[in-house]
Amino acid sequence: MESRVLKPILALYVAAFILFLYGPFIVLGILSFQQGPDGGPQFPITEWSTYWYQQIFGLTPPSRIAPLPVGEALIRSLILAFMTMVTSTVLGVMSAQAFRRKFRGSSFVFYLIVLGMMVPGVLTGLGTSLLANNVFGITRHWYTTAFATHVAYTFPFAFLVMLAILNRFDGSVEEAAWSLGVSPWKTFRKVTFPLIFPGVLSAMLFAFTLSLDEFPRSLFAAGGTEDQTLPLAIYGTFAVEIHPNIFAFGVLTTLFSFALLSVYGILMGMSVRRARKLAMQEDIA
Amino acid sequence: MTTQTAIFRIDGVTKSYGGVKALDAVTLEAGVNEYLSLLGPSGSGKTTLLRVIAGFEVPDSGRVFFQGRDITNLPAHERGIGFVFQNFALFPHLTVRQNVAFGMAHGAVSVSAEDTAQRTQAVIDMVGLTGMEDRGVDQISGGQRQRVALARTLVMQPKLVLLDEPLGALDANLRGRMRNELRAIREKMGVTFLHVTGSETEALAMGDSVVVLDRGRIIQRGAPDDIYSTPASPDVAHFLNRFNLFDGKLSGGTFTGPFGTIAAPQATRASRDVCAIRYDRLQVLPLSATPTGPALKATYIANEYLGSAVMNFFETADGKVVEVEHHLSLGAPQTFEPRQDYLLTWAADQAIVFGREGK
Repeated sequence: MESRVLKPILALYVAAFILFLYGPFIVLGILSFQQGPDGGPQFPITEWSTYWYQQIFGLTPPSRIAPLPVGEALIRSLILAFMTMVTSTVLGVMSAQAFRRKFRGSSFVFYLIVLGMMVPGVLTGLGTSLLANNVFGITRHWYTTAFATHVAYTFPFAFLVMLAILNRFDGSVEEAAWSLGVSPWKTFRKVTFPLIFPGVLSAMLFAFTLSLDEFPRSLFAAGGTEDQTLPLAIYGTFAVEIHPNIFAFGVLTTLFSFALLSVYGILMGMSVRRARKLAMQEDIA
Repeated sequence: MTTQTAIFRIDGVTKSYGGVKALDAVTLEAGVNEYLSLLGPSGSGKTTLLRVIAGFEVPDSGRVFFQGRDITNLPAHERGIGFVFQNFALFPHLTVRQNVAFGMAHGAVSVSAEDTAQRTQAVIDMVGLTGMEDRGVDQISGGQRQRVALARTLVMQPKLVLLDEPLGALDANLRGRMRNELRAIREKMGVTFLHVTGSETEALAMGDSVVVLDRGRIIQRGAPDDIYSTPASPDVAHFLNRFNLFDGKLSGGTFTGPFGTIAAPQATRASRDVCAIRYDRLQVLPLSATPTGPALKATYIANEYLGSAVMNFFETADGKVVEVEHHLSLGAPQTFEPRQDYLLTWAADQAIVFGREGK
């Protein structure tokens, strides 16, 4: 009775959710195949073509529409996201590991860390730029000040993911390794890390994607044009005029994200199978 | 005195968690090549005791000695003491062989690959896992996991192995078999086992000597038959799960309980006055009979068939359940009418009396 009413409503809700999630992307995807260079960023499609894709890779003859100035920004963003991912994940694993034992002031430190994802990004960015310019007198760069804000922002996510994973982690396998004469560091490498690896992957994914499309912090904390990250560069092109080449670029970056997700999914699947073994073992206890 | 042959000794070890004393000034030692079983109810501190010896916990006070050396502050991985967990704690991402070889492959003492392989195979053969070497630990049964846990520990040739309810996760049939195997393996290796258990039958069956732990204190230590026939206190009698305990009053060499007053010339000193009578030492008579010893009127409730014995349950006037065990080897069991009153009696010298006036 209840489900007869509830089920269609839920189904409708999920359908609406998926529409809002993928609708914009589908529209962008369709418009990216607009005819070029005269076709505009709106319907109808005058003629289907891959002109704008070719333009991104510089395969079209020069026209009045300048190619997207995103090449270097993309490289910068990828490197920055990678640096952020590594740093935040290492910090996240280490700090979550520290939180396995209660220590004096642990709850205070917990909130201090988590605050990093709560503080408005614009304020962090602005504060960082003021700190760099007026207090320390150092030049802002994407790989210095912006990198610091990205780590401050993504580290709490990595930390929380690892905290959740380690909360469920049965420490007796580590104790078993110690009792076999294996040092704590070797135990971490040979036992703990392989078993928490699914969590590490998730933390990495969070840190990478959050950094890749971070906007407000980079806006202030990265320096001038030669320090622009990808989101900043894309935003910069809006200010002039919008052409379907942005859509084509959006499609390409989305495909890249999906590829990244697939790699994550495959690695995760492999680790989960391993984790299931652990769960089975715990069932006996 | 036995310090020469003692493999380990703990001296006045105290450990509290949030103000609750899990271990209260415990002193204990075990000799070389001994099977010591440690019996206690849950919360008695028996697991904490093992964890302190293994080095997973640091005691608040007291010292831990192993092979004559003070190891109180030595980290677990430098102690060389084996530990078998109740949940086995096998490495789920490794095969049986890798689990067993783990300590040799990654330990501080370097063992050549050849020796590792040879020792691993030898111990796998010994615990009867030949042919399972390359299976994942999720592809073997509970009993086999138990053997992997044991093999992994024994291959390191420790002088002392701590076992934390190692049979608790196994079914009854397997438990019986593993008991025998544990003893056989221990004798073959000549190591000292300290086996913690909450099961009184396991403790009595396995240990060369049994230590009874309650609320963080050792309340009795002795050979299994001594503990069984002469429990040192009402609490020990209670943990053995083989005694009916009657509260009463000990005064001037007599004990007054629900069954009247009996002579108690040999009462044991204890903090409360209790008379303990073993389940199988009680006899059931019809109400009309005239008992020769002390007797107690009780109502029959139900029985439980145990295979080799029948357990009969009676209730006394004050609502206490009394258990009477009848071994079937002694003949067919009596049959009783539910809700009927009977007389429970016993030979006067079979009762163990505890009391404040005891010796």
